[in-house]
Amino acid sequence: MKLTNIDLEKLIPENLISVTKMERRAFLKIGLVITGVFAGGRILSVTSNVSEAFASGKDFVDQYPYKPHYSMVIRQGLCIDCERCLKACKETNSVPDYGYRTRILTKIVTDAVGRKREFIPILCNHCNDAPCTRACPTRATYKNKENGIVMMESKKCIGCKMCILACPYEARYFNAERHAIDKCNFCWDTRLSKGEKLTACSYVCPTGARIFGDMSDPDNVAYKMVHQVEKQVWVLRPESGTKPNVFYMKATRSSPWDLRKQDGAR
Amino acid sequence: MKRMALLLLASLLAASFLFGSLVAFAEDEEEHGGDIIYTKPLKAVIFSHKAHTEDIGLECDWCHEETFEMEALHMQENTDFTMDSLCNENYCGTCHNGDISFSTTTQCARCHIGVKGYNDLVRQGKLEPAEGEEIPEEQKPGH
Repeated sequence: MKLTNIDLEKLIPENLISVTKMERRAFLKIGLVITGVFAGGRILSVTSNVSEAFASGKDFVDQYPYKPHYSMVIRQGLCIDCERCLKACKETNSVPDYGYRTRILTKIVTDAVGRKREFIPILCNHCNDAPCTRACPTRATYKNKENGIVMMESKKCIGCKMCILACPYEARYFNAERHAIDKCNFCWDTRLSKGEKLTACSYVCPTGARIFGDMSDPDNVAYKMVHQVEKQVWVLRPESGTKPNVFYMKATRSSPWDLRKQDGAR
Repeated sequence: MKRMALLLLASLLAASFLFGSLVAFAEDEEEHGGDIIYTKPLKAVIFSHKAHTEDIGLECDWCHEETFEMEALHMQENTDFTMDSLCNENYCGTCHNGDISFSTTTQCARCHIGVKGYNDLVRQGKLEPAEGEEIPEEQKPGH
């Protein structure tokens, strides 16, 4: 088969009327609106039509057994790897240079059109069914019964590192100074228990890539972000069956000038 | 021929002196300003002269000196060199307004190369680190 190169720049737009209603509907179903017709209908230009309406929260209540049910929503396309979150985390929680409580991964897609780079923040997923807590022989790491945060009781930790092996998210490191495993605890001891509303990382994030909130409250910004109609939300390593509480979504078009400031938290 | 080479070398030296130490150069910088790496207000944003001139054919005087001064990185000293300002069609937002070119509210990581992108450029020798700045060793996959 001979493939001819089409010069998109030179295509002349044709009348949209030539597109049938059925065809339009087919595209609408996958969230796209047809905006242009070229080459006798063989080429269509389309644009996204993802609704911003919010879903009814009734179905999701069962998923969030804690009160408050702390969670983080990572809006992936907005991370710019400025690493203010890493700096704030290290300062707030005295994380040594060799350790980390959160990191940022880089994904490069060389054949992508336009943006070829993607930054993906990762941290402890505070799983509802946390494998690390089962692996710990001394119960030094445990799930807080009220807020669901996976916590560490350093003085009980014997440094056996079984939890590091058990964690599918590589969210733990051995802190030599404390001679204990250290991990993200949503800044519980340093901020949340002192009345702050946000973790250090989400507080300093300039783009709103890290939205921290309470999933047990349907009015909370994190809850609203996750439960949008037609919005794709995913978690990391779902096959582990850990029921993680860090949610990821695409947010390529930011409206950071209002969204980056979390409701009433600043 | 020899004189040409000498002239080229001299202009290279002059250019590197003019643009300061934080500017990474493409190989043929006598035609344009190479890659400019902004580090304020945050690390780091890339501006490619090659992409804007050689690849899509913009003329120097379309941006210089009205929107951007010739002196590289001069604009980042301004207090309004921020995304808010860009969204009000200043600086990059003059063209990147969603009309002339893609909007500054989209494709963040197309220009934002991050701390990792900055560190990579320093490790590759394409960028001089700031004074007293330590670049950590490259992270291995999975760490």
